[in-house]
Amino acid sequence: MLRPIEGSAAVAHAVALCRPQVIAGYPITPQTHIVEKLARLIADDQLRCELISVESEFSAISAVLGAAAAGSRAYTASSAQGILLMTEVLHNIAGLRIPLVMTCANRAIGAPVSAWNDQQDSMVMRDAGWIQLYCANNQEAVDTTIQAFRIAERTELPVMVCMDGYVLTHTLEVVDIPTQQQVDAFLPAYHFARSLDPRKPITIGTLVTPEFYTEARYMNHRALLRAQEEILAADRDWEKISGRTSGGLISVDGSDDAPVGILSIGSVMGTLSDARDHFAEFGPVKLIGLRSMRPFPIDDLKVACDGLSELIVLERALSPGGGGIIGSEVRAALSEAHSPPRIHNFAAGLGGRDMPLEIFPKLLEATRARDATRFAIIDVDTAKIAAEDR
Amino acid sequence: MSSEEPSANIAELHHKQPAFRGLEAGHLACPGCGQALGARLVTEAIGPDVIIANATGCLEVFTSAWPRSSWRVPWIHSLFENAPAVASGIEAALKMQGRPTKVVAMGGDGGTFDIGLQSLSGMLERNHNVLYVCFDNEGYMNTGGHRSGSTPHAAVTMTSPSGKKRMGKRHLKKDLLAIIGAHQIPYAATATVAYPSDLRAKVRRGIEIEGAAFLLVHSPCPLGWGHEGALSIEIARLAVQTGFFPIVEMERGAVVNAMQIRNVRPVAEYLRPQHRFQHLFSDSPEAREELEHLQQLADYNIERYRLTSGQSESRDTEATDTVMRGGMRWS
Amino acid sequence: MPILTRGSFANAATSLALKTGDWRLQRPQYRHRSAPCAVGCPAGENPQAYIAMVAEGNLRGAWEMLVAANPLPAITGRVCHHPCESACHRGSYDQPIAIHSVERFLGDRAIAEGWNYPLKPSSPDAPRVAVVGAGPAGLSAAYHLARLGLSVTLFDAEPEPGGLLRSALPPYRLPRTVLNSEIARLLAVGIAFKPNRRVGRDVSIDELRADFQAIFLGPGTSRPREWSVDGTVPSDLRTGLDLLREWISIGAIPTYNRVAIIGGGNTAIDLARVLKFSGVDEVHLITFQALPGPAVRREEAMSAAPREIGQALEEGVTIHDRRGVRRLIMRGNRVVGVETVHMKELGTATGERKLVSFEGTETILKVDHVIPAIGQQLDSSVFGNLLGQPSIFVGGDARSAAGTVSGAIGDGCRAAIAIRNYLDGLPPAGDEMPRPIAFDDLNINYFDHAPRAEALILEVEHRSAEKEIEAGISHQDLNAEAHRCFSCGECMSCDNCWTLCPDNAVLKADTRDGWRYAFDYDHCKGCGICANECPVGFITMFDEQ
Repeated sequence: MLRPIEGSAAVAHAVALCRPQVIAGYPITPQTHIVEKLARLIADDQLRCELISVESEFSAISAVLGAAAAGSRAYTASSAQGILLMTEVLHNIAGLRIPLVMTCANRAIGAPVSAWNDQQDSMVMRDAGWIQLYCANNQEAVDTTIQAFRIAERTELPVMVCMDGYVLTHTLEVVDIPTQQQVDAFLPAYHFARSLDPRKPITIGTLVTPEFYTEARYMNHRALLRAQEEILAADRDWEKISGRTSGGLISVDGSDDAPVGILSIGSVMGTLSDARDHFAEFGPVKLIGLRSMRPFPIDDLKVACDGLSELIVLERALSPGGGGIIGSEVRAALSEAHSPPRIHNFAAGLGGRDMPLEIFPKLLEATRARDATRFAIIDVDTAKIAAEDR
Repeated sequence: MSSEEPSANIAELHHKQPAFRGLEAGHLACPGCGQALGARLVTEAIGPDVIIANATGCLEVFTSAWPRSSWRVPWIHSLFENAPAVASGIEAALKMQGRPTKVVAMGGDGGTFDIGLQSLSGMLERNHNVLYVCFDNEGYMNTGGHRSGSTPHAAVTMTSPSGKKRMGKRHLKKDLLAIIGAHQIPYAATATVAYPSDLRAKVRRGIEIEGAAFLLVHSPCPLGWGHEGALSIEIARLAVQTGFFPIVEMERGAVVNAMQIRNVRPVAEYLRPQHRFQHLFSDSPEAREELEHLQQLADYNIERYRLTSGQSESRDTEATDTVMRGGMRWS
Repeated sequence: MPILTRGSFANAATSLALKTGDWRLQRPQYRHRSAPCAVGCPAGENPQAYIAMVAEGNLRGAWEMLVAANPLPAITGRVCHHPCESACHRGSYDQPIAIHSVERFLGDRAIAEGWNYPLKPSSPDAPRVAVVGAGPAGLSAAYHLARLGLSVTLFDAEPEPGGLLRSALPPYRLPRTVLNSEIARLLAVGIAFKPNRRVGRDVSIDELRADFQAIFLGPGTSRPREWSVDGTVPSDLRTGLDLLREWISIGAIPTYNRVAIIGGGNTAIDLARVLKFSGVDEVHLITFQALPGPAVRREEAMSAAPREIGQALEEGVTIHDRRGVRRLIMRGNRVVGVETVHMKELGTATGERKLVSFEGTETILKVDHVIPAIGQQLDSSVFGNLLGQPSIFVGGDARSAAGTVSGAIGDGCRAAIAIRNYLDGLPPAGDEMPRPIAFDDLNINYFDHAPRAEALILEVEHRSAEKEIEAGISHQDLNAEAHRCFSCGECMSCDNCWTLCPDNAVLKADTRDGWRYAFDYDHCKGCGICANECPVGFITMFDEQ
C-alpha cells in the first residue's frame, strides 16, 4: 500500500512482514528509528517477536547469531561505530554460514566523530564474508530487505542491506508497503539445516587446522560468487509479485552508445539522475548503479561498461593511503575487458557533506582532462586545511 | 579379585552407562584437567535436552577440533566475549518456538571475569532463562597460562612472574560473586569439582530456575597451577577446606547457604603442592608476608561467608561426598 | 580423508575415534590389596570380604565365606582376642570395626537358623586321616580335612570334644549351648569322633600310622609348667588351669579368703573372675607383664584380652602388674603371704630377654593361697620324638607358644592344606602373608565419622559366673557396623573412579564376570585421579611398557 513514510519506518514494516522471531536492538544514530518502530509494532501486538535490548552492538549481532543458529529468523540493525564493534562477529557469522539479515544505516566513522552519512562503515566490512546490497531509495530499501531474507536463507550467507543514514532513513518518501500475503508468497518459513536441536545434536564453531582452513575460505568465496544467481532470482521473483525491480546486481540507466558512464552506489543515484536531466547539455551519460558490492558483479560490470570510453566511479568512502575502494575493484574488474574505458575515481559526500546537482558537471569535467584522475576527493576544500597538511 | 580385562566390549559400554555423558571421551584436555571433569559433570546433571553456547577457551579448543567433537549435545562456539549474548539469542528463539529446551552458556574465567563480563552482565540484567557456568581455573590457560582477573593474589603466571621486583600477581582475585550478586538474579552459586554431588545438585537447581542463574566451578589446572594431574581433586578440596575458595549459594544477591568447613586447614597446605605458589615458601620477608596475606584472605572469606559454625553438618566439607557401598550419592 | 562440512560443523561425540590413551605414561589397574584384618587374623579369615557381604545384606553368604576359614565363629566371636580389630585401619580414623561382634552375630544366626556348612561329603574311598585332640586345633583340622575331601577320624582323651574350649572357658565367656551347637555342626559333616581315647594310653602313634595315611596332632599343652619360688612350693598347690577346669566341670571351687594368682594370661584372668564370682574376698593377680594401655608396647602387655582385663577390674580383681613374687611367706606348709617386687623383662647383651627384678622395691601382700597360672607345656613323653616325620603334622598350643583359639584354628586349616598337598604328592604351599594395604593408601576424605557398635555388657552388680556377660549386637547395629568398614584394598562400588574421571575412561561394566568397572584404555590418559581418589586403595598405577 502506498503511503508517505519515513525510511526507517518503512524498513521496520518490511522486517515485520518477514515474520522474524528474534530482533536485537542497540541504539545508535541513525538506525535507531528502525528498532523503535519495531518495538512499537511489538508493543501493539502487530508483530509477535522477542526484542532483546542488548547492552552493546557486539551483543546484538551475537544474540541474533544465536537465535538464527537455534532455528529462528532473526534481524538487527546498526551503523558506523556499532558496525565496527561487530567486526569479529560478522566474520564469525559468515564463516559459520548462518543466515541473517542486518540493516546498515550508513554513517561516517569516527574519529573525528560524525553522525552523518557516508558509506565507510559498510565498505570496511566488505571482507567479512557478508552479501552487501545497497539501496538507492526507500522503496528499494523495503524491497531489498524482503529479498534479503530469502537470499540469506537460500545461500546460507548473511546479508547486509545498506541504506544511507539520514538521507534515506530519516526522509519521508511515498513507498509501497507490500501486503503480508505478498511477502508470505515470496518468503517461506525459516529453515536452517544445521540448527541447534537436541534431537540432532551437532557441534558448531570448531577449530580448523591448516589442513582444511583454506578449503573453508574457498567454500565461502565460492558461495559468495554463486550468490549472484540468488540475488538476481530474488529480484526477478519479487518483481513478479510486486511489479518492481530493485536493480538486480547492477542497474544501467542510459543509452547504449553513451561514451561516458558514472558508476555509483546508494542514494546518490537519485541525485545523479536528476542532475543528468538538469545538465542535459552534457549529452548521453550512462548511470550505472552498483547494488551488490559483495559479491562484486564482475561480469555484469564488464557488460555495463562495454562501449564506454570514460567511466567515472563516484563513492562515499575511501581507503586512506590507498585511494578509492569501489574504484580499485572496478579497475581490477575492467582490466580484463578488451577495451576498458579511462577510469576516474572520486570520493565525495564524506561525513554527510551534501552532494548537490552541481557535482555532475564537475565529474564530467574530469573526463575532458588529459590525464585520468586516478583518485581524488572531489569536494574537498583545501582552504580549510593548514598549508602543511594539504 | 584380580585385574584381568573384563569380557565386556568397551565401545558398547560407552552407550550403556547409567548417566548421561554430554561430554565424551577422546577430548584433548591435559591429563587430570579439572575443567574437563567439571564440564562432564555439568552436562551429566543437565541431560540431553540442552543447547550450549561456549566461549573461546580451553574447554572449547579441546572439545571441538574439526572433524571431531566431544559433545553429545547441541553446542555452539562463537567468540571469546559473547557466549552470554549468543545464549540470550538462543533463549529468545526457543521461547518464540515454544520449545522447553534449556540454554546453558559456558566459559572460562578469562571469558567470564574479563572479556565477557559485559555480555554476562547484560544477560543477567535482562534475566534470560539461561544458566551460565564459569569454569574457573584462575588464568588464561588456553594461551599458555596468563593472568586473568580471577588469578589469585600472589599467584605466578606467565604474565605475572615472580622475581626480584615482583611476587606474582599484584592484584587481588576479582570478587565476581559480588558482581553477580549485584545483578540480583534468582540463583548464583560456587561449586568445585572436588565435590561432584554438590556440583550436580547446583546445576540442577540452576536449570530449574526460571530466569538467570550463575554457577562458578573451581577447576584445577595441572599445567597452569603446577601440580600432578592426579592431585587435581585433592587440591580442589584443599581450596575449600582452607577457606580460599568458599562454596556458597546466593539468591537475589543474599548468601543463603555456605558449605561449612569442619576442620579449617592452614592455607599453606593448599598452596604448597602448587608450583605457582612456590615462591611464597622461600625464606624471604616478602614471601612470608605474601603467605600471611593469603592466609588473611582465606580467614576473611571464612568470616565474611560464615564458613565455620563449630559443628559437624551433614553436607560440610568432610561429609558432602561420603561414599557408600554400591555407589549411591545424594545427588 | 574427511570432507569439510559447510560452516565446519562437526558431528556429535565423534571424538571417541581419537585414542587419547596413546598419551599415557602410566595406566591404572584394579588390584586387590590385602586388608589388615585379613592379614592379621590368625585363623585366616578375611573379615573385609565377609563384612562386605553383610553390608550387601547377604548374611548367609557372609557366614559361608567366614566358615571357609573358621568353622567356629560363634565361639571365636566371643573368645578371640581379635587382633583384626587392633590392625583395623578404621582405628586410625575413629574406632576399629567391631569385627568380633559381626563374627559372633553371624555365628549365632547360623546356630539359630540351623545353617550347615557348604561342604560336599567326602567319598567313602577318600584317604583316611587321623586327628588327635578335639580342641580348636583338632576340630579345625578335622573340618578342613573333610572340606578338602578326606575321610577324618577324630580322637580325644576326654568324653566330650572341645579341649580347652570346654574345660577352661567359663560360661560367662562361652555359654555351653553355643559351644555344643558349634561343635555338633562340625562333627556332623561326617567326622568320626572317638572320645575317651588317649594317645599313649588307649592308642599308640604306631597304630595310628598303620591305620591312617596322615596324622594331625593337636594335643595341646596338657602339663602345667613347673613353678616354684626359690624352690619353695606350698603343699596344697593347685595350678590355675586345674582349678578353672574343676570349677567349670563341677561348678564349685575351694573356698579361699585372699588369693594371689600368678600370671597375666586368659587363664589367670578367668580364674580370678571365677573366684570373685564365687565370693572370694580378695583376689589379687600378680604379673610381670603390664596392664594394656596406649603407652605400653604389645610385647610388654598382659597376654589376656584387654576387654577381659577391664571387666575383671570392674568386678573387683586387683591386678599388680609389672611385679613378680620374690618370696613366699610361709607358716609351716601354708602360705600366709607373698613378697612381691618390681619386675620387668629386659633385653640382654645377646638379644635374649630375661626377667629382671629390682631390689629395693619389695612389698608384702597378705594372702592365704597362691595359684600359678603361668601356662602349660607339651607332654613330650608321648609326642616328643615325632618331629620331622613326613606324615605327621602338628598344630595348636603344642606347636607354638602363641596359645590362642584363633591361632589354633588357623593351624588346623594350614595343616589340612599341607596334608592334602602331601597326600596328592604336591609340594607344600607357600606360607607368606601378603603385606596389608597401608592406611595412607586409603583416601579417608570420603568417609565420615560414625560411632562403633558397642555390645551391651552387663552391669557389674548383675554379673555372675553362669550368665554371658557380653551380649551380641542388634541386626541394625550389625548393618551400621558393616557400613563403617573401609573395605581396605577391595572395591566397594562407590563409583568414585567412575564419577571423577575427566576423560570418561572409567565405565560401569556390570558384566557376567561380576566386574563393576572397566578402564577404557583407548582413552585413559593415565592422569591418576582415580587411583588418588579411590577410598579403598583398589587402583594402582603401573608404568606403561
